[in-house]
Amino acid sequence: MAIAERAVTCPNDTTLETLLSTPEGQQIMTCLQCGTCAGACPYGEFMEYPPRAVINMLWRGLLDEVIASGSLMRCVGCYACMSKCPRGIRLTDVLLPLVKEQTLANLKEMPGELQKSLENMARYGNPMGESPRKRAAWAATAGVPVRVLAEKPGPVDILWFVECYPSFYPRGQATAKATAKLFHALGLDFAILGHEEQCAGECGHLTWEPGLFEKLSEANVKALRKRQFKRLVTGDPHAYNAFQNRYPLAEEGWQVEHTAILLAQHVEQLKPRLTKRIEAKVAYHDNCCLGRGMGCFDEPRALLSAIPGVTLVEMAHNRKNSLCCGGGGGGMWLDTYYKSKGMDRLSERRVQEAVAAGADVLAVSCPLELFRFEDAVKTLGHDKQLVVRDVVELLAESLEG
Amino acid sequence: MSEPVRIGFYVCHCGTNIAATIDVDAVAKYAAKLPNVVVSRNYKYMCSDPGQELIQQDIKEHKLNRVVVAACSPLLHEHTFRNATMKGGLSPFFFQMVNIREHNAWVHTDGEQATRKALAVVRAAIARVPLHKPLEIKKVPIHPDVLIVGGGIAGIHAALSLADGGKKVYLVEREPTIGGHMAKFDKTFPTLDCAACILTPKMSQVGSHPNITLWTMSEVAGVTGYVGNYEVTIKRKPRYIVEDLCTGCGECVEACVYRQPRFPDEFNEGLGKRKPVFMPFPQAVPPIVMIDPGTCRVWTHGECKQPCVKACGDRKAIDFSQKEELKTIKVGTVIVATGFQIFDARRLPYYGYGLYPNVYTALEVERLVNASGPTGGEVVTRSGKKPKTVGIVHCIGSRDENTNKWCSRVCCLYSLKLAHLIKEHTHAEVYNFYIDMRTPGKSMEEFYNRIAGEGVHIVRGKVADVFPDPSDPEKERLLLSAEDTLLGRVLKFPVDMLVLAVGLEPKADAQDVRRMLNMSCGTEGFFLERHPKLAPVSTFTDGVFLAGCCQGPKDIPDTVAQAGAAAAEAFSLISRGHIEQEPNTAWIREEDCSGCKSCVPLCPYTAISFVEEKKKAVINEALCKGCGTCVAACPSGSIVQNLFEDEEIFNEIEGILAND
Repeated sequence: MAIAERAVTCPNDTTLETLLSTPEGQQIMTCLQCGTCAGACPYGEFMEYPPRAVINMLWRGLLDEVIASGSLMRCVGCYACMSKCPRGIRLTDVLLPLVKEQTLANLKEMPGELQKSLENMARYGNPMGESPRKRAAWAATAGVPVRVLAEKPGPVDILWFVECYPSFYPRGQATAKATAKLFHALGLDFAILGHEEQCAGECGHLTWEPGLFEKLSEANVKALRKRQFKRLVTGDPHAYNAFQNRYPLAEEGWQVEHTAILLAQHVEQLKPRLTKRIEAKVAYHDNCCLGRGMGCFDEPRALLSAIPGVTLVEMAHNRKNSLCCGGGGGGMWLDTYYKSKGMDRLSERRVQEAVAAGADVLAVSCPLELFRFEDAVKTLGHDKQLVVRDVVELLAESLEG
Repeated sequence: MSEPVRIGFYVCHCGTNIAATIDVDAVAKYAAKLPNVVVSRNYKYMCSDPGQELIQQDIKEHKLNRVVVAACSPLLHEHTFRNATMKGGLSPFFFQMVNIREHNAWVHTDGEQATRKALAVVRAAIARVPLHKPLEIKKVPIHPDVLIVGGGIAGIHAALSLADGGKKVYLVEREPTIGGHMAKFDKTFPTLDCAACILTPKMSQVGSHPNITLWTMSEVAGVTGYVGNYEVTIKRKPRYIVEDLCTGCGECVEACVYRQPRFPDEFNEGLGKRKPVFMPFPQAVPPIVMIDPGTCRVWTHGECKQPCVKACGDRKAIDFSQKEELKTIKVGTVIVATGFQIFDARRLPYYGYGLYPNVYTALEVERLVNASGPTGGEVVTRSGKKPKTVGIVHCIGSRDENTNKWCSRVCCLYSLKLAHLIKEHTHAEVYNFYIDMRTPGKSMEEFYNRIAGEGVHIVRGKVADVFPDPSDPEKERLLLSAEDTLLGRVLKFPVDMLVLAVGLEPKADAQDVRRMLNMSCGTEGFFLERHPKLAPVSTFTDGVFLAGCCQGPKDIPDTVAQAGAAAAEAFSLISRGHIEQEPNTAWIREEDCSGCKSCVPLCPYTAISFVEEKKKAVINEALCKGCGTCVAACPSGSIVQNLFEDEEIFNEIEGILAND
């Protein structure tokens, strides 16, 4: 069972003061102090108080010291600790976010990059500070028709929630266009919200700002409720995770799917049309939200295996034991801060694993990773031997043959 | 019954067990006003001698003819109070027990509601007891032979205890040799005596004991009957060797067309190789070879020159035509000693078992350090190198909600033992990663102290990640990521060899065995004892006893002690010669039986037959176990079950449903 699928066992208004009196608090009291969480944490060695110690300090009423230490600034929300916890304690989505929120509130100086991104999300609905009006601009050059509901309303089967990076950044738009091409090739009835879409806000929620998450999620739910559709599909695992577990969508009756899961359902239909060979050794990177969070490991691999010429290779850390790219839980905007603390970049660790596995292509299914890994490939000087591609890009490329 | 019913009612405090939740005084006062109740009392411990005497006295003084006690579970004290009733001069079946402890005080917190519930069940008992009849206890003889399922150290010890005492024992073992897991161990904690040296003498005693019939490669296929009179079907798989004719000379093994052993050797956990014809290990019992049809050319290729047959010559011990056989035996008691299986480390892929060649289970390392193991006792990695650093991770598949929740009890100690043996064989630096060091038992803490003193690194923290060390050009060394929790630091430990201290779990087919013998299992799947303290080797099936790890993880000393206890329980039953049967049997009111035969195939004990001349069904009382299946099924309502007659049950229901 995917760890994020288990019901969260404490109410939304839980605080660090009330946590121990919730059912999840009882679970926290059963902690063995075995340190599995700390050893599993990709940044555990850089934390003065790794998750085990956070629990111990919570028991003793000494959390103020943990908050002041800033240890939780280093948590990338990757579920590694929670997925291995022998007591099933909800570290990643209950305890640690509560401590992180206080950590940020008590920070003397907010890391600039993060501050700017959070402000942008609040003001413009996207972390890069782009004009919301431009959100659907890419659709005009998609090469296939992409219906924008703000312009052409009416019922539709699939409402595709594009998210910020694929909407605004050229490198991300390439994945949006690939997705559109695949949907079109499969004859799916799909449309996007257009400028009414805002950042899903998952990183904001798991990171620091529950207030910001509430604002964004309310705006999105309002926009979604205006439309008539059956399935809510997104290529962003963070948004997927948020829709499944955090958004109040239970009563809407929409089927929520990640692009990889949706496409995998059509893999037999796709196979005969994937004619262009891609001769490459491909390593798939299990991103945290889709993999550990939602238990989806096989679908992206099934899609890659359907491409003629592709040989799948596995990195040392894979599936449930995957290594985070470092972009989750706010890490996307903390690279400078981490560097100032002498911490290495997780994306570089991951790229080294891909090279060690002999991969030519590092395949991803999360919009944040293209940027993180392409950057790491360049800084490590591996750009001659390794390229980073979204799974949908590889599929769309093969479709052209 | 002409004489008026006079009931004595007693409610027990059980110290505070009942009285802290239920208002026992109110219950007694309430019962005093119910019909036919002559005496109603509450008392601190009804099961005590004074408590029992109270009942006997009241029977005489107040001319009681029925007794009701509200106390604990009838499993514990029904017998006690029936006895007291009998000593008072009444039939023991004029007694009725009400459980207000396990079913009430222990599971409720609201005292007022708990008391109301107590009143209801007391009402029910007082309403049904006037209808009780003075039933007769029947005696059934006990067959003196014993079946022992499983030939590990538990089964071996139980078999020898009984056989030495003159009882005939059938010892049934699934594998080609007895010895179980213990035969694979090198040394045993805490004394470090060699497992083979202490086990193999017992094994050969079993092999040659005149009172033991040993069937290896055999499984229990079916069980019918009841305590004292079980009929058991045993499936004997073909060995392709005639047991009586094979001398164990091994000439056939030498002669096999496969010059070199090339198939994974089960006894060495696949670390060594064997031929298709082989002896599992040098001290195997029975000391004879077997042929594995999965690897022998006679089956895999459909043809073979069969030099083995020629080598065997006049002994003629090889028989490729052997077929599976079914044998039926009659026994009075059964000892279940089916053991455990180790946790499959592949279920936790992040420890790299099955992926990185130098990750081993503890059982594999037992074979590596053993002189008769695949490396002749040399501890080397798969590439043949002596490790310089070795990590041992405790609690693999134990104490973990993602796998098995229980503590496997033996892993801390066997991990310390392996640390010692590895250090002795290789002088490597050994790191033991533990969560809590659990070394209870005689001489165990001293053993821990000794091993720590030998310089083993003992790290408090569980390894959370295992991956290849990128700085190792040979790509063999592994990095272990773990927090040293006492230091509060996450460290990376490079090791040449990683040993996973895998936990113990129920056998994969434990549920089949459970169903066959009508036993129960705990939530974790180990067989459930009748009472955790006071009937630790009995099961809920009379005449079936437990020994060893099939009941829960335990070390060798405890296993042997438990096997002795199980043998003693069986011995006690056999020596008594008979059992008294609860008279809750069913009988047929002939005039009402329509002869429809519905009941006949339903009876799990084949106690019902159909009499053609009369066109009526009839129940053999000796075979009936009082399960009530036929009673519920009879369309004409002609089957009556003693102690559970319709009127008694209706009265009980009315009692429950009446107002306070």
